[in-house]
Amino acid sequence: MIEEKRPSSIQDRAERLEKIAKEMRFRIVDMVHDAQSGHCGGSLSASDFVTALYFDLMNVDPARPRWADRDRFVLSKGHACPVWYAALAIRGYFPVEELRTLRRNDSRLQGHPVATYLPGIDATAGSLGVGFGQAVGMALEGKLMKKDHKVWAILGDGELDEGIVWEAAAQAAKFGLSNLIAIVDRNNLQNDGTADEILPMEPIDAKFRAFNWEVLTMDAHDMTDVLLTLEKAKLASDGKPVCVIARSVKGKGVSFMENKREWHGKPPSDEQYKQACEEIGGGEA
Amino acid sequence: MNLIKAKNPTRRAFADRMVERSETDKDFVVFESDIGYSTYSYLFGDKHPERYFNMGIAEMGTVAAAAGMAAEGRNVVVCGYGVFLTMRAVEVVRSFICYPKLNVKFLSSHGGVTAAIDGVTHQATEDIAFMTTLPNMKVLVPADSVSAAAAFDIALATPGPVFSRLMRDPLWELYPAGTDFVLGGSKTVRTGGDITIATYGDLVFQALEAAETLKAKGIDTEVIDFYSLKPWDKKALAASVARTGALVVAENHQKRNGFGYEVAAWLLEDGPGALPLGLVGLEDTFAESGDYFKTLTKFGLDAAGIAAKAERVVARKKKA
Repeated sequence: MIEEKRPSSIQDRAERLEKIAKEMRFRIVDMVHDAQSGHCGGSLSASDFVTALYFDLMNVDPARPRWADRDRFVLSKGHACPVWYAALAIRGYFPVEELRTLRRNDSRLQGHPVATYLPGIDATAGSLGVGFGQAVGMALEGKLMKKDHKVWAILGDGELDEGIVWEAAAQAAKFGLSNLIAIVDRNNLQNDGTADEILPMEPIDAKFRAFNWEVLTMDAHDMTDVLLTLEKAKLASDGKPVCVIARSVKGKGVSFMENKREWHGKPPSDEQYKQACEEIGGGEA
Repeated sequence: MNLIKAKNPTRRAFADRMVERSETDKDFVVFESDIGYSTYSYLFGDKHPERYFNMGIAEMGTVAAAAGMAAEGRNVVVCGYGVFLTMRAVEVVRSFICYPKLNVKFLSSHGGVTAAIDGVTHQATEDIAFMTTLPNMKVLVPADSVSAAAAFDIALATPGPVFSRLMRDPLWELYPAGTDFVLGGSKTVRTGGDITIATYGDLVFQALEAAETLKAKGIDTEVIDFYSLKPWDKKALAASVARTGALVVAENHQKRNGFGYEVAAWLLEDGPGALPLGLVGLEDTFAESGDYFKTLTKFGLDAAGIAAKAERVVARKKKA
């Protein structure tokens, strides 16, 4: 479990988060290897900004997972739940040892996250696009109750293929949900190939702008950029929801997984697991 | 029939009750998918603009956002047409409302061929199959204004998702004001000893008319209104068929995977066992656009269709 205190300088904050991100990556690979099932690629591409959210930027309290004023987190790309489970466990929502129950019978760590199963899971996700729609509803509720908390929704770039994403985007803009921040994990890989070839969605930034969203972009693996951009997203308040396009690398941190389509949903072998742990260097293999 | 013609359809009665309740129950909100002037949810919106969210012609996004708000602890009423809510958005209803058992209540209009005039794209004739199949979902189908208002009360009082199937057209009034309705209850609206007709929604009226026809032929018919389809009143049906020994299930829905299939399976699996049985519903076909009553007749869902089926079932009973 990581203590809550964070340093004040941006450089120290980034350094601290980079260390935690290593632990996150180790836990992701470890649980997927142990389960021999799960999604490493999209978990690793999202690891750095999810770390920044849970260990620096989001206002959450593991001791009070249902605290009314907490920031909400919705992993709309629900298949990447190893990154969410790792963040929650390391942050202290539940024991880290429980990560090795992933995808097993009687486990609270379902193959795709279920709201009522685990403390810290704010919304069920897994069917692409729907988590984003739910995040719109959660932000509407926050606005109705005049609350200050943010709703963070993490989408995959392949997920943008889903029509419901654009229903939700229009609805969020209609209601001026400036408390909603969507992060698009732009790793340009989905199940069958590159996002650009399967169903071209570029220009993504112009699409969200045309839907009346504020749009920012960041290097998803430069922790300083992640911190500065997401802080800017938190402060944006001209009545528009904010979309952050996170330029990322699928499988980031494990050389043989990086930018490889087949690592979308494949578990590592024992040999590959060993190599991954050495490369990550974040935990005991 | 000596029933009073209804001034309003059940969709209106449900919405009126929603507006009434909104004065004292301040914690529910209403989501609309751009048919507020048809579901009458606009009446709520006029009164409570801050609690009314018109999400556009986007049923999946509407239902998903409702799930998000309900996940925050809010009671959400989602209004729309049955075909779109239960089919276009069915997966969102299933995985994001029923699975986490959220407090989302559906005002689902244009059930069955009461939307006949609009054509097949607007007739929900498979909605009961989809909704009763979903774990955690409760399903109500009121036949008249009083039971439609009660359906809203039951929906609001029942934890988890509740689906209320409502009708496009005004039909008749059946129950006096103040009648009690409960989740899992039924109403025996006519007693008789020769055959039981189990039905719900608009076909309650057709069944009552069929009972008159049958009476003229010496068949004494019992009619039960299963306004609560899930859970449904097994005790009442068991008691009724124990006396009549013959059963017709009539519904404005596909015969396949409708209430009739549910009842047939129950008879054999947990109920009193095999007995002469007839099912009235759409026979693996789509209906068509046209006048509501003519459409019922054309597809065998009217009083004459029900009576003919009942006669055959009674004949089988006598042979047995």
